Order: sequence, then C-alpha cells, then structure tokens
Amino acid sequence: MYKVAVSGINAVDNPGPGVGIAKSLKEGDRELRVFGLAYDAMEPGIYMDWLIDKSFIMPYPSEGEELFLNRLLYIKEKYGFDAVIPALDAELPLFIKGAQYLENLGIKTFLPTQEQFNLRAKDKLPEVAERIGVKVPKTVVVTSYEELSKAVSELGFPVMIKGIFYKAYKAQNMAQATAYFNSIVSEWGYPIIVQEVVSGEEMNVVGVGDGEGGHFGLVGIKKLWITSLGKIWTGVTVKNEKLLEAAEGFVSAYSWRGAFEFECVATDSDIYLIEINPRFPAWVYFSTGVGVNLPYRLLQAALGVEPERSWDYEAGKLYVRYTDDLVTDMDRFQKIITSGEV
Amino acid sequence: MGKLQKLAISDEGFIFDPETGSSFTVNQTGLFILKLLKEGKSQEEIVEALTEEFDVSRGEAARDLIDFLEQLRLNGLLREEKNV
Repeated sequence: MYKVAVSGINAVDNPGPGVGIAKSLKEGDRELRVFGLAYDAMEPGIYMDWLIDKSFIMPYPSEGEELFLNRLLYIKEKYGFDAVIPALDAELPLFIKGAQYLENLGIKTFLPTQEQFNLRAKDKLPEVAERIGVKVPKTVVVTSYEELSKAVSELGFPVMIKGIFYKAYKAQNMAQATAYFNSIVSEWGYPIIVQEVVSGEEMNVVGVGDGEGGHFGLVGIKKLWITSLGKIWTGVTVKNEKLLEAAEGFVSAYSWRGAFEFECVATDSDIYLIEINPRFPAWVYFSTGVGVNLPYRLLQAALGVEPERSWDYEAGKLYVRYTDDLVTDMDRFQKIITSGEV
Repeated sequence: MGKLQKLAISDEGFIFDPETGSSFTVNQTGLFILKLLKEGKSQEEIVEALTEEFDVSRGEAARDLIDFLEQLRLNGLLREEKNV
C-alpha cells in the first residue's frame, strides 16, 4: 500500500488543489493512504476522512527550511510515507530545494527543477512564449507611479494590473489602476506587471511533464464560470489543437518535470500565454473525471513506476464545483489543535 | 476537416464547439440547415430543401438562409466553409 502526503487541503472559497489530488489518488489502481499536510486546524480537508486518512499541521514555509523538513522527517519516522505531492506555490521552492534531502529519507517527489520553477515568474513569460511560438499580451513591468502611468498610456484601458506571483485585477481607468497597484504593492511588493487585455476564450491545460520532453497526459479546459477570486467553478473540456500543441511545445522545450497548469487566452487565430503554474490546479480532479488521472500518474512517476501516457479525453465534458457541508465531533478539531495531528 | 464537421450537434439543437468550448442553441429550422451544411449541400440545394420542408417561398428561404449563415460566421462556426 502506498502512503502519500498531499498539501493544499484548504478546500475553501479559494481552494487549494489537495482535495482534488487526494480524490484522484484514491481512484488509482492501488490502495493507498493519503496524509494531509495542513497549515491551519480549520482546513476542511482535515475533516474529510474518506479522502484524507490522516492530517498534520505543518509549520509555515516562511518559518524556515529546517523546521519544515524536520516536520516531514517526524511524519516519515513515526508513520512512514512513500511520496509527497506539494500543491501550494509558497511551499514549492522549499520542496524543490529539499528534494534531494527528502529522497535520501526515502520520500519521493516529482518536481520541476529550480530553473524550471523560475519560468513561472510572470516577467519570464515573453521569453517562454517566444521560444514555444505563442504570443503574450503586451507587458510592461513597473516599479513606480510614474512608470505605471506611462505603461497605461502606452497600452490603453482596460489593462491588467498584476503582482509578480499573485493577484491580478482588470482596471478600467487610472483610478482603478492606481488602487490595484497600491493594493498589490502593499501585500506583495514590487514589481508590478501591467498587461494588455486580450479578448478571447480563457483556456487552461493541466498536465504532467516527464522531465525528458514528453508528458503523462494533458487535459484542456475552458472556463465557463469563475468565482470573484477568479477560480474556476464551472468548466468544459476542449480540444483546441493550437492550445494543446502550445502546452506540448512548452513541456518539450523546457523538459518540464512534474505537474503544471498552462493558462492561456485563445483567439480565433492565436494563443496568448498568460501564466504557467508549476503545480496542479484546484480543478485537477476534472482530468481524473475524464479518464486521465494525472495525480496518480505523477505519483507513479515519483515512485519509479512508468505511468500510462494515453490522454484521449472527450471534448464537452462538464466540470461543476460545488460546496458541501459536513457535521462531525469536536474531538477531531481538539486533537489537531492540541497535538498537531489527527 | 472543416470547422462545421467538428461541431457536436444534438437532436434538440444544442451545438458544442470542441475547439472553443462555446455552445449555442438553434431552432428546428436552424438544425435542419446545419445538418444539410454538414452533408456538404450547396446553398441552392438547401433553399430547395427548405421550400419542400417548410411552407415558405424560395425568396424567403434564401433570405433566411443568408441571415443564418451570417449568424454562424459571426459566432465563428463557419470559419473554414468558404464555399458555402
């Protein structure tokens, strides 16, 4: 039986991918136990014991590498586990850096390299887009009001105002642009990215690169309905050749290793690259639902088992996220608060 | 393969474009025309078929067909069907 640790089990209105990963792993062809790595006792995954068999509170990655890796070591020594699938942006650099250490402990990962991870920075996208032959919306990186106002007059409204790693807002006028600029700077700092708005269909691809230029499957989705935080709530599978070719081109050009989400805007004639996430998206269970169990394939790759590579899915399958409620005893909550695990 | 050939068209008139993920609904007349377009029929043949199937004159059928084709083009569903 495999034991796999998964993070991002915060299935709230801005959900992490962990619950979708756990759900997918449970649908693989091997019996396995999922350990949830949580950062807060309120993370809903902790209470979803049919998917997450055991949960642990982790120290925040910002508290340092040693503390974080020691916590994983404790879990490994006390309960044993074979592999970990990290799913949150903030913890990825730590996992990437610690991958060899974890490997030495017998904890397998299947992650991009630090160099590949760096490609996710939004200011690197024009370079990536050029190399794989797709477009990128006109982008200006700014660090002051003066530059912001220059960039906006160059691009014209509406524009996207984005943080280098997080947050993106559409501004219709200078007042909005300045407000979003301030809000992102105060939360995430400089620089700020000012980007042309491209009108087309917002489409994403989820996939797992094999690290040698190939992949273990791709699934394309079009966003039909998003939350106020921009998260997909309803989507539909699409087979857009240009989109899938662009994603394959990306995997091949950079020999991408591990999970990724390739975010684009598709127009009649072009694909515009918007963002690349070096992890599974929160909607990753959709791939499993249409027959391409990417989390399980990633696990197999991590464990040295050659995964299936077929990815023939049907276009027109619908994804609907829904909220649910569950009632349980306080003891699970008490236990995780007092002992950090349950 | 032309764009039209790739469309998933249900008997109820629900059209799904697998490339863009967009969906549309058409009425029974629209569905009738789409099926003939998929079969590769010419505009003249479709006008003929419309007058046989529905109680309309040739002129009316031709005008409606042109309108409908324009709608398909506007929605990006006739991109590669240059001869239609």
